[in-house]
Amino acid sequence: MSDKVLEDTLTADSIGADAALAASGDASAFERLYRTHVNRVHSLVRRMLDADEADDLTQDVFVRAWQKLSTFRGESAFGTWLHRLAVNVVLARRKTLGVERGRFQGGEDPLAGVSARRETPEISMDFEEALANLPDGARQVFVLHDVEGYRHEEIARMLGVVPGTSKSQLHHARMALRRYLDR
Amino acid sequence: MNDQWTDRLSEYVDGELANGERTALEAHLATCADCRATLGELRSVVARARALDDRAPKADLWAGVAKRIGAGTVVDIRSRRFSFSVPQLIAASIALILLSGGGAWLALKPRQTVAVTPRPDIGFKTLSVSTGRTDAAIADLQDVFERNKSKLDTSTVRVVQQAFTTIDRAIAEARTALEADPGNAYLNLHLADTMRRKLELLRRVNAIATAQS
Repeated sequence: MSDKVLEDTLTADSIGADAALAASGDASAFERLYRTHVNRVHSLVRRMLDADEADDLTQDVFVRAWQKLSTFRGESAFGTWLHRLAVNVVLARRKTLGVERGRFQGGEDPLAGVSARRETPEISMDFEEALANLPDGARQVFVLHDVEGYRHEEIARMLGVVPGTSKSQLHHARMALRRYLDR
Repeated sequence: MNDQWTDRLSEYVDGELANGERTALEAHLATCADCRATLGELRSVVARARALDDRAPKADLWAGVAKRIGAGTVVDIRSRRFSFSVPQLIAASIALILLSGGGAWLALKPRQTVAVTPRPDIGFKTLSVSTGRTDAAIADLQDVFERNKSKLDTSTVRVVQQAFTTIDRAIAEARTALEADPGNAYLNLHLADTMRRKLELLRRVNAIATAQS
């Protein structure tokens, strides 16, 4: 077993043990899970909703995770379970806020107001900024598919659309980001 | 430039076109420099998305989470609902077993065992709990677990074995306390109860391990 595989195995074991301990009410174990996963959860929330919602929603995700730990059955990694829960919390929040599924119109340039700083050390920040300025529907699909790795069928179920809509939104998002990166 | 194939390029990038469409698009790409350029840019966008780094929140959010879940206070595990039906959550059931009932009495406060005053109204004059059959059953189930544990997650096995260590310590302490006070009704019942808990845990773990095969 390579050092990397061994390290990954030990990490997975540790997270699995912490998940089990947290399910029994061990808040210290839950804090360790929080520390391990907060960056990923916060980044997901920030990309799918406005940045000023991210802190509150991230806390909501972890509180919900604590409440729902008894439903974690270990068939997937804890991180995968938590991530799916985070997506559900975000989507529920979107409903509460009444966010409509904006659709990209071909004639618009949704990223017209975003400054381009290509090939700078902040390039990934520019990309995040461009992402945040996508129309809502395209943004959700892009984050879920290209950043988070969900399939169109899963995204369609989550968003209540057909897979064809998910594919179309994804393409519009990519095209918009491509144009931004080209400037 | 935008032609009939432009809108299919994302599906091509994702490998979602049917064979016939893919072949036709590839034939088009061989002759269309604009589509080739767009294809390259779309691939760059996808690569950029996959390479995004997760960033930490600007402030530590744990304090707010801890406050809302009651961390730092005594957690009432009886108020939590448990549903341990798969190996990962065996560990959670272990914790429940260890923390519930009299198990916690020995597991968490072993030194108090000798301070318990025997109740004179219960007629335990000698060590009345015969554990021979239970010992044998535990040994048998332990052998089964040793054979089955390769079917379980390593994290589950580790936590189960930690639980066994804790339970065994509780059993040993109960036996030690009973040697000094064989008539103690509570200790007799507690020893039997702790052994029963180990039996239950072994049965449960073995059943799930068998179901995994």
